[in-house]
This record gives sequence, C-alpha cells and structure tokens, in this order.
Amino acid sequence: MSYTFTILSPTDTPLFTHEFGTSRSGGDGIARFTTAERAQNPFILHSALDIVEEAQWGQSTTATSAPMYLKHIDKYQNNFISCWITGGNVRFLLLTRPRDEALGLGSGGSGGGGARGSLAGGRAGLAGGAGLYSPTSPATEEAVKNFFVDVYEAWLKTIMNPFFHVGNGEVVKSPVFRARVAAAAKKYL
Amino acid sequence: MSAPTQTPGLRYPSNKKTIYDRNLNRSKNAELSRAAFAYLFVEMISYAQKNVKDISALEKRLNTQGYPLGLRLLDLLLSRSPSPLSSIRPTRIITLLQFIGNTLWRHLFARAADALERSESDAGQYMIFDNDPMVNSYISLPREMRGFNAAAYVAGVIEGFCDGAGFATFKEEVLEREEILNRGGG
Repeated sequence: MSYTFTILSPTDTPLFTHEFGTSRSGGDGIARFTTAERAQNPFILHSALDIVEEAQWGQSTTATSAPMYLKHIDKYQNNFISCWITGGNVRFLLLTRPRDEALGLGSGGSGGGGARGSLAGGRAGLAGGAGLYSPTSPATEEAVKNFFVDVYEAWLKTIMNPFFHVGNGEVVKSPVFRARVAAAAKKYL
Repeated sequence: MSAPTQTPGLRYPSNKKTIYDRNLNRSKNAELSRAAFAYLFVEMISYAQKNVKDISALEKRLNTQGYPLGLRLLDLLLSRSPSPLSSIRPTRIITLLQFIGNTLWRHLFARAADALERSESDAGQYMIFDNDPMVNSYISLPREMRGFNAAAYVAGVIEGFCDGAGFATFKEEVLEREEILNRGGG
C-alpha cells in the first residue's frame, strides 16, 4: 500500500507532505505511486476538504463537542482518505492507495490468464474477507488513529515552538518532525 | 531520532534534546511566581508602549501579543484534557466558553473565571467575568492614561483561542452555523 500524508492549515495551505509505503507484511516503506497518481494526489486531497467541512461540526444535535478523528471520510477511485482535525482546525489528511490485489482488482482481468481473473473475481465476491482492503474495518481505523495520535503529539510540540508562526501558514521544515512522522508511519501503517 | 550528522544545516542543543524530545506535560503543574509574572508583564507593556500613538493602539498591540498564545494554548489544553486518546474539540459556543472559563483560566491564573453571561441585547455577545484580574493587579494608571486596560492582553489570548477553534470572534456566520446545528440540520 502507498500513502500520502498532508497537513493543511485552516486556510487550506499545505504545511507538510510526506509520502510513504506500508511497512507491514514485508513492505519496504516506499510509496509506489505512478507519476500520474502522484500528480493527482494533491487534487484528491483538496477535494476531500469539502467533506471534512461537512463532517467537522458533528452530526448529533445534542453533542457539544466532536472527536478530532473523523475516520474514513472520502473515496476517489481507488484512493481512500482519512482525516484528523486538531482543535485549531488544522487538518491531517491521509490518502491510502491499496495494491490492486487488495482491492480485488486482479491484474488477470485485463487480459491475462482466465484462471487468475476468476480467482480475483472469487475474492471480490467475498467482500470484507481477510484479503481485501476495507477503510472502515476496525483494524484499519485503529492503525490510522494511532498514526494520527503520534503525529498530533509531534504537531503540538511544533506549534509550542515560539519561533513557529502558528496560524500564519508557516510550513513545517523540521527534519526531526519528518523523522517523527516517518517513525509513526513505520510503526502503525 | 536522527543523528546530528544526517542534517548538516540543523543545530542541536548541547544535550541533544530537541523540542520533540521533551514531554508536553512536564510543565503541567508548574507554577510561576507572581513577582516574575509582574516583572515580565510590565516589560511587555512598556515594550508595546514604544512609539505608540494612543491608548487604543497600545491595547491593540497587547492584544496582538496575546493572540498567538491563545492559538497555542487551545491545542495544548485540549490535548491535556482527561482522556487524550478520545481527543475531542468543542463545536458549540457554550462548550468553548466554558472551556475558556474553566480550563484556560485555571491554566493561566490558577482559578476558574467568576461568571459567564450572555448579553440580552446582542446575541453574539458573551461576557466572561473575572472580579480580580491578575493582569491588572499591579498596575496603577497615571491620569492621562485612565482609559487603559491591561486585560487587552487576555482579550487577545481569548480571541486567538476562539479564532483557532473556528469561532471567528462570533461573527454572523458562526451564529448562523450554531443555529443550524441546534435545529438539527448540518
């Protein structure tokens, strides 16, 4: 699986972007986006902001507060987007692009052997089965949440820096912050 | 995390501890002496007073000094609230104001605010009362500055706090949103 993680300011300026691949099940932690996908990712993330703004004030009429973790909020083609929104309305967006096999789109269907195509079809039939990626499965939600919790802590430390202009759209340049994000990614995703 | 040699442009403190290695809750219960506070605050006022035209400009400067503090404290105090793993943020005006009156006040002045009231004439006006504001306690005003209120600094903190939370100091849109949320739309 490949991921793009972006931090967006309350005025929709990207403050930090990091790309990485999964480190689970033998992954090497390198993102496998094609050039076209990589160019498309910012557009997908920005279009998800509309959904974030709909979801951020909560659903229920009686609740007076809402969670920071908004879970899986948007899907565009094969990209799944999860969001965490901080108290200061800074949005953390994580775009997940699962491998084709994990989506039940076996490569065989496009012209390979018929046997592989039917195998892929069979797996797709078991939607929600172990082999398929599901953005709302408890395990995925929990992993993404843990990732966000770690990043949020690093973010808090960043904004506590008196030389960091919070709310002015200042970009996070610290290599230590990037290392922290990469470590959280390696640990949970 | 990363060794100093990896990033040549970055200078590390001598103890190799960056801000990312410090614990956020280390200063949670730390207190500052009143003398130190008064001394620092007086210096801040006299700094703001340089080349200032009139009292409202001076208050504006103090306000600007407090604003970023509010933005920062918002996230810090939210993250310190009892259950950090179920991190929540206020989405209604009253919740936010109570958070200010209790948590923020306790953090800044070691006690809760005295009262919270809503204006009868203006739906967008709320008032937080502090009967003995600490920022004003060591200040005596000369006659020509009688209109000055050092609590402009605290007003700046609150403004940053509300703006950060998405309640841009109670503009029309915010009140409208509040109404929609209360009706159950949204």
